[in-house]
Amino acid sequence: MIFIGAEEIISPLGQNIEENFQAVCENRSGISLIPHAGFNDDSMHLSKITAISDRNKFEMLLINILEKVLKQIDPEIALSKKTITIVSSTKGDLDRNISSPFTDSINAFARHFQLANEPVVVSNACISGVLAINVAGNFIKAGMYDHAIVLGCDLISNFVLFGFQSLFAVSNAPCAPFDADRNGITLGEGCSAVVLSNSKEIFKKTAFQLYTGTSANDANHISGPSRTGEGLFRSVKKTLEQNHISGNEIDFISAHGTATVFNDEMEAIAFDRLEINEKPLNSLKGYFGHTLGAAGVIETAISMQMMRNNLLVKSLGFKESGTSKTLNIATENKSSELNTILKTASGFGGCNASLVIRKL
Amino acid sequence: MNSITAYCHIKDNVCSVNGEIFLQKNEESADSWFKQLYKELALEYPKFYKMDMLSQAGFLGSELIKKTNPGLLTDYADDEIALLFANSESSADTDIRFRESYLEKKTPSPSLFVYTLPNIVLGEIAIRNKWFGENMFAVLPKFTPDFFIQYGSVLLNTGSKAVLAGWLGILEGRVEVFMFLVETENKNGYPFDAENIRKYAGF
Repeated sequence: MIFIGAEEIISPLGQNIEENFQAVCENRSGISLIPHAGFNDDSMHLSKITAISDRNKFEMLLINILEKVLKQIDPEIALSKKTITIVSSTKGDLDRNISSPFTDSINAFARHFQLANEPVVVSNACISGVLAINVAGNFIKAGMYDHAIVLGCDLISNFVLFGFQSLFAVSNAPCAPFDADRNGITLGEGCSAVVLSNSKEIFKKTAFQLYTGTSANDANHISGPSRTGEGLFRSVKKTLEQNHISGNEIDFISAHGTATVFNDEMEAIAFDRLEINEKPLNSLKGYFGHTLGAAGVIETAISMQMMRNNLLVKSLGFKESGTSKTLNIATENKSSELNTILKTASGFGGCNASLVIRKL
Repeated sequence: MNSITAYCHIKDNVCSVNGEIFLQKNEESADSWFKQLYKELALEYPKFYKMDMLSQAGFLGSELIKKTNPGLLTDYADDEIALLFANSESSADTDIRFRESYLEKKTPSPSLFVYTLPNIVLGEIAIRNKWFGENMFAVLPKFTPDFFIQYGSVLLNTGSKAVLAGWLGILEGRVEVFMFLVETENKNGYPFDAENIRKYAGF
């Protein structure tokens, strides 16, 4: 059995998991209007961390988050040869060294903690976080490691913001996942961590069981979501089948929900094809923005907090159904027994990934 | 047993398949090195010209492996071939060009931006072949045979029946590509272990 716990988040909503979950419970958003941020000096809605200076921010976030995580587990784990550290990120610290956006930060981070094994960077667009958790779980399942620390981190940079602006993919208001009036993403930055282990004894708080999932490509388009949700459909179907879990056992779906017109429509079609579209669902992008490579870890961490508190958190920004297939989107916070959650992600390159977490 | 059943290299001026030279770069040609390879393979796939160098490299490598091992197209269901790639530069080659587009040319280029993720090459190969299998792109400090052994084995134990793997070193004109195919049921290969990966990679 694979255990997962010790979730942590640093974001504009707070410096630790408690502050972040408190903000989410209060339906507060980290998104604000930042003057002169856009390509034409325009003001942009962003979820930006201002509490940490921009110098070596990526490295500082990785160090800060692991220090918080070590308070939640047996700290010896970090130094063990049987522990692998996996970092999920799309762009690392590209402003520090564009030719090698991970090397300096990851080396400094690994040296700081004297990690026994070189960290692996998973850079697979917006599924990086979910994929990294699955990779970590599979390493433990195969007996290659006993423990894994998964860190998701991405920063807002001119590079990424101007890029999404050039694609006309940025919302002119805070993003509104699955809403009829949604018109694009809001970029966010954040850092999040979870720990996986073959032993539940290393966790100071209760751990959960992780059912590692699969990834699947749409084989359709490098930057446009599939019209049929094929890759997401296949990924979730296989994840459930391989773990012998039926759709009926899912209490909640933590969707990707970027708030672009086509992505959210694709997800609705996939969940409808999977016949799980009546399950309560949210997107957390209205709270954190789209944190790209960090998103899957942040959203898994919040899902674990929702399970700890048996509280289904509302999907911020959603008012009116805006997909061709109906979804059961959480419009209010609601107390609810949450035992089994499905987390999904989809990204550029046509990639999709999913995993399941269950209470012990 | 898991076996390496085919491999290929693309370097700055030579391309080889299973250790045999496939093509040497013609320095006189007006065509780029990758276009020379595309023409030599006699492919009809105009999307090739839209790809960045990282995607072209992975695309060409996958076509070379298919050419030498046509069973890849016939012996597997559409979700049984996993794609496992890595390098140490991520998509830096195109990242540098995209940054120039907004810093120097003052117009961020959307056609460059969509290639500023290293996993796009996996999408291009999946689209070309209609493969719906597992995808993974990792950025590692250097070529690490153990990474391919570890995660390749995981993929072959979790539903994939073949792994098309590769190291795609592409940065500012330098080309260091090594791709290989790992199969579970084809016995005509070399044991899938770190020693063989290191040997055939030749790095």
